[in-house]
Amino acid sequence: MSVNYEPVLWNRQKVIYDVVLVGSVVLYLLLFMHFADSIGGSLGVSNLDVRGIRIRAFGSAGFILLHVILSIGPLSRLNRKFLPLLYNRRHMGVTMFTLALWHAHLATGWYHDFGNIEVPLVSLLVSNVSFFTVFRFPFEILGFAALCILMLMAVTSHDFWLANLTAPIWKGLHMLVYAAYALLVGHVVLGALQTNRHLALILVVAVGMVWIVAIHVLSALKEAKQDQAIAIPDQAEFVEVGLVDEIPNNQAKIVCLSGERVAIFKYDGKVSAVSNVCQHQNGPLGEGQIIDGCITCPWHGYQYRPEDGASPPPFIEKIPTFAVKLEGDRIFINPIPNRPGTPVEPAVIA
Amino acid sequence: MTTDPNSKPKDEFYIGYAQKIPPGIRNFLLVLVPGLIALVGILGFWLPSVHNQYSPGALDRTQDFQGVLMAQPVPHLAVPRQGNTREGGAYSRYLLSAFNKAAFDPKALKELSGQWVNLKGLPVYRDHYTLLASAGATAADLPANAPMAPPEGKSLGEFDLSGQIEDSKCYLGVMKPGESATHRNCAIRCISGGVPASLVVQNTAGDRMYFALVGRDGQAINNQILPKVGSPVNVKGEVMQYDDLYVLKANPEEFKL
Repeated sequence: MSVNYEPVLWNRQKVIYDVVLVGSVVLYLLLFMHFADSIGGSLGVSNLDVRGIRIRAFGSAGFILLHVILSIGPLSRLNRKFLPLLYNRRHMGVTMFTLALWHAHLATGWYHDFGNIEVPLVSLLVSNVSFFTVFRFPFEILGFAALCILMLMAVTSHDFWLANLTAPIWKGLHMLVYAAYALLVGHVVLGALQTNRHLALILVVAVGMVWIVAIHVLSALKEAKQDQAIAIPDQAEFVEVGLVDEIPNNQAKIVCLSGERVAIFKYDGKVSAVSNVCQHQNGPLGEGQIIDGCITCPWHGYQYRPEDGASPPPFIEKIPTFAVKLEGDRIFINPIPNRPGTPVEPAVIA
Repeated sequence: MTTDPNSKPKDEFYIGYAQKIPPGIRNFLLVLVPGLIALVGILGFWLPSVHNQYSPGALDRTQDFQGVLMAQPVPHLAVPRQGNTREGGAYSRYLLSAFNKAAFDPKALKELSGQWVNLKGLPVYRDHYTLLASAGATAADLPANAPMAPPEGKSLGEFDLSGQIEDSKCYLGVMKPGESATHRNCAIRCISGGVPASLVVQNTAGDRMYFALVGRDGQAINNQILPKVGSPVNVKGEVMQYDDLYVLKANPEEFKL
């Protein structure tokens, strides 16, 4: 959490994260180019297309990293031990965009410079106009569209934009990563896999797609199971949502009321209910814990007091609260949310 | 009620700004991160071997050539062959282009066609097929032992050929693989700029033959074949032989994708 906007708030774990990230990317690029060179030598190829090899190295590195990025969310929902990867996922996103940008820069220059259209980008967009075919489709345009999305995401990745665009809009914008992924799969299938129909390469791309779809389906199924909506009787002021014993201490139970997820926390012999949606990146607060007396978001550690849904000073984030009462061991929630930051008396466990 | 208000949560909880990582999560990361790095290493080692980024095409250093500049049927330089010239003709025919994605110097072709010229060119070659990338040519004196003028082409008959149209510079060695979808845009730019287009035909044994493409009237058809570049295509036409150069004269409207 931070009060001021700074480019990066470094801490030890973030440094380790970025060193591993950048180191892995550099390792991949160096290995790819080194082995491409040595394979060419063993084949007796006299002139290697070094620019072409770099184009493939950067492009494949970006595509692989995108698979890692898209895996982190669902894996974290399936197993919380993956959450440390999610913490600085935006660093991966910006790194991935940088790789894609360099791939595009190299490819546009190599294939479109020195032609009879002065601007290489214009050449890229108008050279092949077979839009109504499948195998001759100008796959470069798919890559260009994906790059535009990735650029939009990269430039708005900082918390400054998150706060100013508001989390729902920011989140919606960044969900476009799935559109970018679909475009890039098309880019690879209609481009690289048309030129190089190597079975192993086709299988790798197919396995990547199946993996991404499968873990998203699995995590969605898990979430759907948690999201079993609780019916709200007509005129009911309070709705029964479960038993106190169902909730581990300093943790929460998530229930779905009128389509909105509510996190019911048990802590210090009390029960409080707040919106499940973190104001930062809409993370699932109900999957967090009470740390130092505050609800702590599992995604980036944003904190809120359970009694009023407000972040402790000097932070200013606020989330809606819900009135809660106990009847014996049974928990009742008023399904109408209070304004963010509204104090609500916790229900005391007898 | 069976709750203990003072108990700690059982599940470990990671906070990115905390000083310490919970031991269970740290142990998990100590397995996961090296595993991911190992995967990166495996992919970096393996992927170059399955990428199609090698071809027998090659570039050589820029050299001086002397020969007869020919504007038709495609711009080329006819260079007298040394040694046994009974097989393959008395001349080697080298296609011509500029250094960029453009045709060979039109002024030189117009003024010096059919004449002996000196030409500094960068040979790009694959199999027996060669293109010289050059900035131009200058008139040369007729060599003392100059052979007879390059012979006219002879017709080998009508053929039905299937292959892929590529530009005769990148495919031959500037780019690798320089063919198919990933190179299509570049080939379109080269061919539209005036680099000679060739039909590359390959048999099941992998042997390649190259046919420079012109219209039935012998004129350039570069701009008419652009929508068919870099894809499998079937072409019916008359094959003409100019020493070691084969030229396919065909109607571009009859090229079948």
